[in-house]
Amino acid sequence: MRRADRNVGGGRPDGARRSRIRVPAVALGLCALGLGGCGGQQSIVAPRSHQTNLIALLWWWMLGAATVVFLGAVGLLAIAWVRRHSPGLPLLGQREDISAGMVIVFGIAIPLVVLLALFAASDLYVIRFSEAPAAGSTSMTLDVVGHQWWWEVRYPGSAAVTANEAHIPVNTRVNVVATTADVIHSLWVPRLARKIDMIPGRENRILFDTPDPGTYVGQCSEFCGLQHAHMRMTVVAERPAAFRAWLANMAKPTPTPRSAPAREGERLFMSRGCSGCHTLRGTEAQGTIGPDLTHVASRATLAALTIRNTPAELAAWLRDPQAIKPGNRMPDLGLARGEVEKLVAYLESLH
Amino acid sequence: MASTLTPPAQAQVNRLDRVWRERPGLLGWLTTTDHKQIGLLYFFTSLAFFGAGGIEALLMRTQLIGPNQHTLSPEAYDQMFTMHGITMIFLFVIPMTTGAFGNYLVPLMIGARDMAFPRMNAVSYWIFLGSGLFLYVALATGHAPNAGWFDYVPLASKRYDPGLNIDFYGYGLIFNGISSTATAINLIVTMFKLRAPGMSLARMPLFCFAFLAAAFSLVLALPALSLACLFLELDRQLGFHFYDVAFGGDPLLWQNLFWIFGHPEVYVIILPAFGIATSIIPAFTHRRMVMFPLVALAELLVAFLGFGVWVHHMFATGLATVVTIYFAAASMIIVIPSAIQLFAWITTILVGTPEFKTPLLWIVGFIVFFIIGGLSGVTVAAIPFDQQVNASYYIVAHFHFVIFGGAVFPILGGMYYWFPKLTGRMYHERIGQLSFWLSFVGTMVTFFPMHIVGIDGMPRRVYTYPADAGWTLLNELETSGAYLLAFGLLLVIVNLVVSLFDGRRVGRDPWEGATLEWATSSPPPPYNYAVIPSVTSAYPLWDARDRARDLGRLERGEGVLARGHETPASTVQDATLDEVLAMPAHSIWPLTTAVVLAALFAMLLLAHYLIAAGLGGLLAAALCMWHGHAPVPARVAAVRRALPNGVWGMALFLAAETMLFAGVISSYFYLDFRARVWPPPGIPRPEVLDPSLLTAVLVLATLPMVLAVRRARAGDLPATLTALALALVLQAGYLAFQLHQLVAELHTLHPQGSAYASAYFTLLGLHHAHVLLGVLLDIGLLFWLVRQGLSDYRLTAVRAIALYWYVINAIAVAVLLTELYPSL
Repeated sequence: MRRADRNVGGGRPDGARRSRIRVPAVALGLCALGLGGCGGQQSIVAPRSHQTNLIALLWWWMLGAATVVFLGAVGLLAIAWVRRHSPGLPLLGQREDISAGMVIVFGIAIPLVVLLALFAASDLYVIRFSEAPAAGSTSMTLDVVGHQWWWEVRYPGSAAVTANEAHIPVNTRVNVVATTADVIHSLWVPRLARKIDMIPGRENRILFDTPDPGTYVGQCSEFCGLQHAHMRMTVVAERPAAFRAWLANMAKPTPTPRSAPAREGERLFMSRGCSGCHTLRGTEAQGTIGPDLTHVASRATLAALTIRNTPAELAAWLRDPQAIKPGNRMPDLGLARGEVEKLVAYLESLH
Repeated sequence: MASTLTPPAQAQVNRLDRVWRERPGLLGWLTTTDHKQIGLLYFFTSLAFFGAGGIEALLMRTQLIGPNQHTLSPEAYDQMFTMHGITMIFLFVIPMTTGAFGNYLVPLMIGARDMAFPRMNAVSYWIFLGSGLFLYVALATGHAPNAGWFDYVPLASKRYDPGLNIDFYGYGLIFNGISSTATAINLIVTMFKLRAPGMSLARMPLFCFAFLAAAFSLVLALPALSLACLFLELDRQLGFHFYDVAFGGDPLLWQNLFWIFGHPEVYVIILPAFGIATSIIPAFTHRRMVMFPLVALAELLVAFLGFGVWVHHMFATGLATVVTIYFAAASMIIVIPSAIQLFAWITTILVGTPEFKTPLLWIVGFIVFFIIGGLSGVTVAAIPFDQQVNASYYIVAHFHFVIFGGAVFPILGGMYYWFPKLTGRMYHERIGQLSFWLSFVGTMVTFFPMHIVGIDGMPRRVYTYPADAGWTLLNELETSGAYLLAFGLLLVIVNLVVSLFDGRRVGRDPWEGATLEWATSSPPPPYNYAVIPSVTSAYPLWDARDRARDLGRLERGEGVLARGHETPASTVQDATLDEVLAMPAHSIWPLTTAVVLAALFAMLLLAHYLIAAGLGGLLAAALCMWHGHAPVPARVAAVRRALPNGVWGMALFLAAETMLFAGVISSYFYLDFRARVWPPPGIPRPEVLDPSLLTAVLVLATLPMVLAVRRARAGDLPATLTALALALVLQAGYLAFQLHQLVAELHTLHPQGSAYASAYFTLLGLHHAHVLLGVLLDIGLLFWLVRQGLSDYRLTAVRAIALYWYVINAIAVAVLLTELYPSL
């Protein structure tokens, strides 16, 4: 059923695109060529859950209806232009009551019917799938905490803590609890679920539930300060077995460094101030200002998707974090080149 | 017109010219109270701010032309989008519509010679200018507001934004709000009371209905914003906790207050544009508007319903589903009155014989954009869809179609339409059409792709975006559209400036317009009309017989009213002549008042509270001096069935203050609702007896106020003075005891200790401030009554100040009940 819905949702775009006109047609033409990015990694019309399928379907229907209304109204204006020298309506003439009737039919009657239908479809039906999941209807909980400007992800029942990368099993109703550590953020992974604001003093919840393994990009969607633009995350949906294996690894304490530079890096981590802000579970580093780095090497990106997690980019970050993400909370530690190399060696060993 | 006048008529006109002559030069501009001069000041000032807001927009678009650009730093970008929003809304659209168009045109359209309160009109302008400069000083010094125009807390709290940036926002908007409120009150009273005899409400132009609706929205909505900003500054500067969760506050209190203002604000922006459309369409289709009464009703209904939909800005905040559904339904209902107007315009164009000249083209463009913006607006009333696209570029697209396409296009069309009236010259038609098409295409190319990037997941307010998100091409398109649009807009200005010197000369009425403003010369003389026009329909200029009759009346000197700055006042509904008012001429006090007020806000910003208090005293003195010159009493024996303008003005001011108290009392109970224990543990419940007795004393002071009004109407000065003095003693005594209590309480209960204490002290403090204002009004009134005796002017003051006390005393009871609620 879920898949069928998605197919319906995925099947509509082309039909609806054709019905647009004028300048929009240009934009949508580009879009159809794949240049504009419709169906991109954060697109609401490339849904991967029952909830987002329904919303996308709702959108295509609304777009279709809106196009009809738009063409109708602009059509009337076009007729007015064609008949600009002759007073009165075509066929109906100049009778004032007929003009008044037009206003009542187009301005009251038709909108009323359309709005009632839309209200029933969206605010009474689809909303049941986008509201917070009913208590007890989910089989797993994910705590996502917004920070300026990164995401902390916790897995209740497990010691695992990750940053900017959440993992979920497919075909599982996941209760996502969204909170904030500082200002208001908004958690938005468009292909998986509607967005939800993270507000001080509140615990908001949404549902993640996708049948499709894959990596889904999310982004903060409430202005939260200087680096709002670089507050992104990924949600990795994987088969339950793979998820369990991943979670078991994440729950383990920090791996012990094996190579000499890595051991030197660990010492630097504890002595050069890193541990004041970051946690490495199982070590003396218990800072809570920045992300938990216990298994940082397992992540694909750094600084909330600002850079890739490669030794070179990590080194650049350690040398001057403010150049890469101006305003972020990590200070320039004044590390020497050799120190950076050792720290990179250590951090990139934390799988 | 002058050339065709007979000698007796010419003599009347000459006399009027003499009476209404303005001061020349700079001093004339600084002291003017002529609504047209003030309208022009508003026009040029808000146009300059439009330019500033436009440059900010272009800088943002340049930054976003590609991924990872560095035109602007993140901090600069944040200041740009915040200032762009604030500028376009508070320093451009509102002053341009209510200030420039409303000021210049409303009195002309209703056949009046000035606004109801000419000096308050002047002070509105100077305060607006002051608030604009205040905000731009922030930008010039690098401390511009940087948390977005809706300025959500806690991002805007001292903790996360410690600089002066947000303080400029908080005080700047309160400062600006004073100006908008004053203008709105002025517009309402002008439309209610100064319509030419015969122009009953049903014959008032739709333009005026739209401005009436917008003005009411402003008066009733702005207090919520001012209150939100007051709480914000109390939190920031004095350490109160309205928005601080740790102490029992709630960030959503800000969002609720902001949007209770913010959504009616949308209609404040769009309604005047509707009014402009309903002026241009009949003139260029050569027929009356279809369904006039329904359109007038729809204009008022939109403004009214606009107060009940604010939560639709908060669908992603996790509110209970049932709450969101209610507000979604309300938001859908508001579509109906908008659709009525839309199809009334379209049908009128359809059944008329439209002449697609520049002004009508802008209106047609507006209609097209308003349909797009309206339709995207309907889609976001579908809650689940809104929960996807909220705070994305889809929303940016939506509100730019509504605000830029929907409000700015009619403003530009209106500029072309009334240009001949203001200057006596015609703009260049071909260039006018070219400027329209460039702007039309520019708007489409700029804003339409934003729907698509929004659907593609691009959030708003990001200073850059990654290359792999797939948003690059559409952003390039938007930026190129923005430059095209800027070019089109520049062409509008060039056209108008060149035509000002070089345009073909035109007479009174180049368009065969329907409304009164086309009856007088272009540009109109300072007194607007040599003879107060007769009106027998909603399209007076199409009533040839009335216009001929007016010429005859001018020759006979009927309805010329040339003994001073005179204008007739009428009854509110039927517009029968009620009295002839003597209007104040030029005055230096409005400018002085605004300067003192600007200094006061600067001192508040810098937290120099004692100096600010001193300036407050100076302000009171300036306002007292302002009212020293009582205008010459009216000559014609007044019928006086209607309430005097001064009482109307006070009533509207009190409506705004009532909204303010409704806001603070609602906030109190909102915080109570959020808290588990209220007051928090350890705080004693408020004592009941003393405040109740004190409030009883204040309410008791109503009796001498009633007596004062009665005696003043009877012309009994000594009894009036005695009654007023008695009231003053009771009120001042009340205030002294209350302040004593308040200071004593501050030793045991700290407003910095909890949201409860913050709300408690703010509630009381706000009421005490209103009692203090009333006491000052009493003193000023007594001062002038003793020096100058009773006159019509002072009688109105007695009545207005009595009304002030009735309302403040009623509010005192509400405040008392709220204050004592935990003990009841």
